[in-house]
Amino acid sequence: MNTLLFFQNLVNPDVNVPIVLPEFIIAIAGIIVMVYDSFKPAKQRITGAVSIIGLILATVATFWLWATPGNPASAFNGMMVTDNLRLSFTVVFLLVSILTILISSVWVENEKVPAGEYHALLLFATVGMMFMASGNDMVIIFLGLETLSIATYVMAGLRKNDLRSNESAMKYFILGSYASAFLLYGMALVYGATGSTNITEIAAVLSSGESAFPTLFLVGGAMLLIGFGFKVATVPFHIWTPDVYEGAPTPITGFMAAGPKAAGFASFLRIFAIGFPLVATVQASALLHESWITALTMMAILTMTIGNIAAIVQNNVKRMLAYSSIAHAGYALVGFIGAGVATTVTGRDEAIAAVAFYMLTYAVTNLGAFAVVTLLAQKNDRRTEFEDYNGIGFKSPVLAFTLSLFMLSLLGLPLTAGFIGKVLVFRPALEAGSAMLTFLVIVAVVNTAISAYYYLRLIVVMFFKERTTDWIAPKIPTALGAVILLTVLGVFYFGLFGNSTIKSFTKSPATTKPATTQNAQLK
Amino acid sequence: MEPSLASYLALSGILFTIGAVGVIYKRNAIGMFMCIELMLNAVNLSFVAFSRYYSDVTGQLFVFVVMSVAAAEAAVGLGIIITFFRNKLSVDVDDASILRN
Repeated sequence: MNTLLFFQNLVNPDVNVPIVLPEFIIAIAGIIVMVYDSFKPAKQRITGAVSIIGLILATVATFWLWATPGNPASAFNGMMVTDNLRLSFTVVFLLVSILTILISSVWVENEKVPAGEYHALLLFATVGMMFMASGNDMVIIFLGLETLSIATYVMAGLRKNDLRSNESAMKYFILGSYASAFLLYGMALVYGATGSTNITEIAAVLSSGESAFPTLFLVGGAMLLIGFGFKVATVPFHIWTPDVYEGAPTPITGFMAAGPKAAGFASFLRIFAIGFPLVATVQASALLHESWITALTMMAILTMTIGNIAAIVQNNVKRMLAYSSIAHAGYALVGFIGAGVATTVTGRDEAIAAVAFYMLTYAVTNLGAFAVVTLLAQKNDRRTEFEDYNGIGFKSPVLAFTLSLFMLSLLGLPLTAGFIGKVLVFRPALEAGSAMLTFLVIVAVVNTAISAYYYLRLIVVMFFKERTTDWIAPKIPTALGAVILLTVLGVFYFGLFGNSTIKSFTKSPATTKPATTQNAQLK
Repeated sequence: MEPSLASYLALSGILFTIGAVGVIYKRNAIGMFMCIELMLNAVNLSFVAFSRYYSDVTGQLFVFVVMSVAAAEAAVGLGIIITFFRNKLSVDVDDASILRN
């Protein structure tokens, strides 16, 4: 009987191609770009076009998955799933990659970056991010994380002759793999506690209270917290961020702040908010839940406060944006905690959608800002100090006004995307009604006020400071112009009509069977 | 006598700690990288021990994935360290200090 079952599993590996279609498309596009580049190197237009077509096709496939009912809920024996968490984050990643390719077109041309290699790496990083969001198994999440990280290490060091870029890549690599080791140890311990690497099964074992070693959950959870805390750059695991962001080429910095951070949040949410649910009657579950909520609340408070205060004293725009991205990770954590304390599945899905929407608004705003910074930085990122922005406001009104708009959106001014994003992530935590979480939201609001100082400072510098040296406004290339137009429209669209987006983010695709694993059914 | 699960886990924990402390203590990028490899392999030991304890192959499968990832990471990591060495003629992380702290 067992042999029969074995062969059945052998011939039917439960691939469910439609479910993995977006990932397949990007992976194939990446391979095409890589192979093409080895025959005809440095054809930026062609490799860039192939990458963008691949990304757009994958976006179409993602929306198709979302809209079409009747697709199976999981693939590869429950290792990958389709739910609103996966799909909404996938949309964010694809958008980030498309915008990054457009932003970097100028940089690739000016600095003779090997275009094919760069585009292939970016596509592989995108596949990694997508697997991090769709993986329902720690193996897939780890694999996705490493695919993303390894590609990003190389991208940070693409400017081979620049010592700053080398240093950035080396720091990112050593600290990144250090954090991966902690994450992996956490996964091993959670596997030890449950005997399974599947998130659905881990949640089932935890809720039933049948774990062989309940204490391993606590140690493993702490290790996972360290690993993910590093990947999404939360205090006290943020030390690498400013250095890496400053040294990496500017378009890559924009990508790192928007994409990998969102991907980290996707699997962070998957493991903690979905994999470690609260079942009050089970002691291990209650203890674990209380510990991670408390730990994350502390981390969120520290992240927001330290990120914002450190950003105030920076004199380099890229460094300021790095600390600002740390602070934004803190705001997103507030929504994350809201997802953790939600008592109903609907409430949890709404909070998850809020975090995804926050990452979307942050990505749009931040990439827009980085597009302008890339253009102003000129070759080799020479001009990224605050002084370099003195008095450019009226000499290049388009760039200065758009950059000001992005700063206001990062600050969270009403009518911009950043405002809706902040309101949505703060709401679930506030609705939970516990004193600790109310305090957390108050800290977040106070921090928003603190952040006004450095965002407005850039605007003041651009419009009201005298410039002593000559400055010629750079010409805006078509690709960058398109990015700036898209992101400005995005900031207003999400700011005014964000509601419709958040509604579709909350909606789960109508699948044929609930997201349980085949393994569980077989047993 | 066969060693118990606890002794494997203890060994794995000790190796992991040696690696983790080594990364903080070492100043040589290659040495730090070797310590990270030690940490990954310590985790692999845990996976295999749990896999045997539960008679479940997933843990061993995970080890294969980790080993292939570690190999890819080694290739990329050494490449990054070599580009740094070319420009600075050093693999000491204290020399990586242009970016302000």
